[in-house]
Amino acid sequence: MQFKYTKFASALLATGLLSLPYSANANDSTELEELRGLVQELSQQVKILARKGEINEETGAAEKKAAPVIKASSSGFSFGSADGKNEVKIRGLLQADHRHFSDGANDVRGRSNERAGTLNADGFHDAEDTSLLRRVRPTIEGKVGGKYGFRFTPEFGGGSASAVDAYVEANLNPAFKIRAGKQKSIVGLERLQGGGDIKFVERGYVTNAILPNRDLGVTVSGDLFGNKLNYGVGIVNGVADGGNISTGTEYNGEREYTARVFATPFIDSDSALAGLGFGIGGTWTDYTGEKNLNFTDTSSADATRNGLPSYVTEGQQTFFRYTSNAIADGKRVRWSPQANYYYGPFGVIAEYAKVSQEVSLASGGSASGGGAGSSTVITPGTNKNLKHDAWGIGVSYLLTGEDASFKGVKPKQDFDLDKGGWGAWELVARYSEIDLDEDTFKNAAGQYGAEGSGINSTFSDLTKSSKSAETWTVGVNWYLNSNAKVALNYARTSFDGGALAKGLAQTTNNNASGSNVRDRDDEEAILARFQVAF
Amino acid sequence: MKKPLLAIALLYAVFSVTAPTTVLAKDISLLNVSYDPTRELYQDFNAAFSKYWLAKTGDKVTIKTSHGGSGKQARAIIDGLDADVATLALAYDVDQLQEKGKLIPKDWQKRLGHNSSPYTSTIVLLVRKGNPKNIKDWDDLVKPGISVITPNPKTSGGARWNYLAAWAFAQKKFGNDEAKTKEFVGKLLKNVPVLDTGARGSTTTFVERGIGDVLLAWENEAFLAQKELGIGKFEIVVPSLSILAEPPVTVVDKFAKKHGNEAVAKAYLEYLYSEEGQEIAAKNYYRPTSQSVAKKYESQFPKSNLVKIDEEFGGWQKAQKIHFSDGGTFDQIYQK
Repeated sequence: MQFKYTKFASALLATGLLSLPYSANANDSTELEELRGLVQELSQQVKILARKGEINEETGAAEKKAAPVIKASSSGFSFGSADGKNEVKIRGLLQADHRHFSDGANDVRGRSNERAGTLNADGFHDAEDTSLLRRVRPTIEGKVGGKYGFRFTPEFGGGSASAVDAYVEANLNPAFKIRAGKQKSIVGLERLQGGGDIKFVERGYVTNAILPNRDLGVTVSGDLFGNKLNYGVGIVNGVADGGNISTGTEYNGEREYTARVFATPFIDSDSALAGLGFGIGGTWTDYTGEKNLNFTDTSSADATRNGLPSYVTEGQQTFFRYTSNAIADGKRVRWSPQANYYYGPFGVIAEYAKVSQEVSLASGGSASGGGAGSSTVITPGTNKNLKHDAWGIGVSYLLTGEDASFKGVKPKQDFDLDKGGWGAWELVARYSEIDLDEDTFKNAAGQYGAEGSGINSTFSDLTKSSKSAETWTVGVNWYLNSNAKVALNYARTSFDGGALAKGLAQTTNNNASGSNVRDRDDEEAILARFQVAF
Repeated sequence: MKKPLLAIALLYAVFSVTAPTTVLAKDISLLNVSYDPTRELYQDFNAAFSKYWLAKTGDKVTIKTSHGGSGKQARAIIDGLDADVATLALAYDVDQLQEKGKLIPKDWQKRLGHNSSPYTSTIVLLVRKGNPKNIKDWDDLVKPGISVITPNPKTSGGARWNYLAAWAFAQKKFGNDEAKTKEFVGKLLKNVPVLDTGARGSTTTFVERGIGDVLLAWENEAFLAQKELGIGKFEIVVPSLSILAEPPVTVVDKFAKKHGNEAVAKAYLEYLYSEEGQEIAAKNYYRPTSQSVAKKYESQFPKSNLVKIDEEFGGWQKAQKIHFSDGGTFDQIYQK
């Protein structure tokens, strides 16, 4: 700026000097004095202009430093204070899915209340192709005063609006953060991976079936030893396996305690182990079943009825349900060792989870609720501790050479037909299975049975619900850029039990030996997703 | 429940008895938010205090300083710049820390000697060598063709002292005729070609950029310009009347407490009143309040006829409201 003014001054001076008639022969001292004065005055004016320019620049720079910061990037949109202590971010996740079933059933055998129409000869409705909005989640999150934050994420997918996340937090120290409200459970590894970052269209059985999804309560977490060890502990309301608590409701007066530690001991090294992480998480609660009896009078069972879950396949079709008079009654303990590893374009995530759930049977209940018209009580001597477990291992490989990570993929080249970029391409494969306790289907005498069979002290019916499911999934992910992804998965699930032997009338009850049980037909599903996340 | 408490009490007792009595030395970080021309003063003083504090307590204290226009600095502290101490140009700016930020108690000025002003200064006229425009007093600054350099009173504490010094002179000259006083100060401001945001900026304008015939300057800043920034290039003209500038200091209690620095912050300011602190102030051309040090440096500071803010203007709160708040005399005059 100053340089420009100086040049301008020189030009002025030159013009002035040349134009003055006395410049060449100025012998008169008065004229020289006048000339000197003029030059000095011009020089001052130029310097003043230059200085004003400097001051304007300084003032502008200072104002810029103090001005609110507005950002728009592939990470979302935000505005905040210049010092970064106060900020509001707007983010979003939208997933449009299509599910195609070449084979498979939509629920357990004999389940007619979910769908119109007549059950087929095997007692099932076919799993139907469907297009759906799996996740529609705008998010507002932010912080005030540098340390205090909030997040609110409603869910508009699935046909109704609900709050997925709604919490406040205090990040008092990297080693000590408190979060209160509805939030992701801290226990599962794949659960902690963002909904837009998961490698498969649906999460595996460990996450979807056994471990809790979201819960209400308070958690404390932090990073220790230079981010080499992450810990978390929580006191929450407690939800059934795979459960997602609704805001403001409390299923049972008991608290559930959660904890997790996860180590990444080589994170700062350059070795091949830098991307290795491993840990263990768990939950503990003790339900007093009597507190749940009000819930036993409902005739329309849902996923978390009576504090007990139903389990779904990767195609999100229910393959296991407890009988309507089963009720969570006693301790529930879950534990889950877990690990992941990322090296260059290769990634692997492996988890195991086991749940020990004490369950009782209830009897009675009002006639209008489908009961016997008497008070609902827990049937003495029916309590069992059922142990279900699941595990899975998923691998991924980025064909286009990007580095794999727990978070999303940033393509080296965005998809662009004009410039010739093809985005990032990733192959994925997973095996996962879930195995239910055999005692779920037996009474104390070791007999299989079901409601109405005369052998009624069982918690499920093996001719209706499967006792295990194994799923192979292969797929491809196409990352068009940091925000857009197309995923295609093929998932084949085989079952153990869950259907009535061929040739038997659908009204046939399970027998004591379980010899009239056959395996439910395999499910073959193609799951497709187009996702935009920012 | 009682057993763990008992165990903790026993452990505490055992450690209390057996733990070594030596206390580990601490590394302390202190932030002094100051006004524009005090860079050199606090550079010297911080080094002296660190040495003193290390010898006294064994703790290493590192003092960071921030400099800028006094009003801007006060606003920055109110907005969250967590200063342990504030050493500003005038009491009004420190008052704002109490009124707008609730960061210090109301009686902050009574906590240290001389109304919490460990050193004073005044406003002088700095002219170029040989005084080519023959500037002798404030009268000369309103003449046509005289270029006067002074910062913006809206952002600079020094500028407010300059403005009030000129106002006091005109008030006396015109027998408290406010209209004529305003006209006088208005003429003076018309001769100001550029308004910097702080006193150091104006010094740069005058000394380094070579703009203007006269700089209205803190006495310490004028000495610095004359003896260190442009040796032999400038002369100090002491006007017939000027103002006694009392830059105050305070612990910013809220932030010092938050940092656990209350004791060291208090000691830091108290050390400004010590023999060594006063010597450092005098060597940096601030007038010491200690009589003994003032006597030692008597010859350094010219005798001046100085008015006081409380007596002439009814204190800083009143002066600020009348002259520098929105719509005050400065706005009325400068916008014409």
